[in-house]
Amino acid sequence: MTTQSNSVAATSRWGTISNNLTDVFYISVWRKAWPLWVGAVALAITNLFMFAFARAVGVFPQMGMWGAQVYNLAGVKVDAPFTAYPLTPLHLDMHSMINFGIILGVGMAALLAEEFKIRKEHWSGYAAAAAGGVLMGLGTVIMPPCNVGGFYTATMALSLSGPLAAIGLVPGAYVGGLLMKWQAKQAVAALDFNALPVGAPVTKRPSSAQPYVGATIGVALVVIAAVYAAQGMVKQCGLLLFGAIFGIIFQRSRLCFTSAFREILISRNGTLMKWVLFSIAIGTVGFALLKATGYQPMHYVLPVGLHTVVGGFIFGIGMSLAGGCGIGILWRSAEGYTRAWVAVVTGMMTAGAWVLIYGKHVGEGWLYGKPHSLAQYGGWFGGSAIVFAFLAAFYLFILYVESGKRERA
Amino acid sequence: MRELNAIRISDGHYQVDMRGWVCPYPKYAVEGLVRKFDKGRLDLLVDCPSATEDVPKVAKAMGCAVPEVNQIGGGEWQIVIVKQ
Repeated sequence: MTTQSNSVAATSRWGTISNNLTDVFYISVWRKAWPLWVGAVALAITNLFMFAFARAVGVFPQMGMWGAQVYNLAGVKVDAPFTAYPLTPLHLDMHSMINFGIILGVGMAALLAEEFKIRKEHWSGYAAAAAGGVLMGLGTVIMPPCNVGGFYTATMALSLSGPLAAIGLVPGAYVGGLLMKWQAKQAVAALDFNALPVGAPVTKRPSSAQPYVGATIGVALVVIAAVYAAQGMVKQCGLLLFGAIFGIIFQRSRLCFTSAFREILISRNGTLMKWVLFSIAIGTVGFALLKATGYQPMHYVLPVGLHTVVGGFIFGIGMSLAGGCGIGILWRSAEGYTRAWVAVVTGMMTAGAWVLIYGKHVGEGWLYGKPHSLAQYGGWFGGSAIVFAFLAAFYLFILYVESGKRERA
Repeated sequence: MRELNAIRISDGHYQVDMRGWVCPYPKYAVEGLVRKFDKGRLDLLVDCPSATEDVPKVAKAMGCAVPEVNQIGGGEWQIVIVKQ
């Protein structure tokens, strides 16, 4: 630990200790961005612990339930899209606690780092977000569920649907990304450096009170969790805290799954996705070990069929336009992106209307195939081997795409 | 269509304000921006945290120097790009 952010020379031993603590526990954790690999490892381990505690991570099915709740409040009777996520008051629903935890965790982390800002958008940004939310809402019920649940968690849970979702998500995110790249290109093309008005440069504003607000949210989070624990609602308490940890990891490491999928083909850069694959590899070992003991063997083993790929494609376009997947839009909402607020609302209202649109729940009827566990092939060991083969194939695909960069340039 | 806010601060010193453009717009725009001005200094203002890493990467890959990334407010940064 040689880096000292405090330039003030420590005069005493206690001063040195205090500077050291500040550097490690404030500057390194809350002010500087975490390396991607730290995020990747932390994500896999947190997901494993949370699975062992109750369930693995995924956020959109509960958001669909929120949407259905809104319809019911408005007098339109509709059941929640996922049968495993029945209509429940939000403050009692353990699944929703993950989402609330993510929002609080991200909010706390963003404020501590002074990265929070209410970011207003151009109308075209709101339109893109609304459309993106609708597409994600549809994608989540067709795939199912969302990008993190349907690809990340499902793959490590040895569900055949996980790898298949990626086949839809990659081109979907590419299509959405192309549209954004085109918009950026148009805006740059319209700019003429020789005809700019003269103006004064921006000046740095003094540091804000954001870190204090962030610390207050952290305290509030612990208090809320303690209240749930005192009420005997251990699952709600635990999942709220797990959600907050996920939020902190995502906010600090900037491990954005949308970017991971989008940039493979747009920029021929698979750095982020390689870390996501690494994270899945760690998680797969843990999931296989836990499931081999008979613990929730079918957890996150999802219906699989053509709908997985099509749903992934639709979801992929949506997450690019919205600027984040299910977790991504919760995360950006808590950082103050109004664009993400729009996507959350249209996403949950679309997913929440699924039983009205389709007439049945997710996983029922003609659209969906049956859940298919890779553990059918040679048990948990064989299933894991198949997942690792998929991860290796995906990795080679990324290397192949990246290696084409020089030829084009 | 959405337009970029830009000003000339002095000869060969420009400022393009991309605050309000979410990630990945700044990253996608910087390639075209760097190509478009002859040489000098371009201050790019952004308000998405990931742009503070992505934008310098793209600019450096195009042969520019990025001497400074300054936080100018809560959730706002100035990225200084110098083209020789």
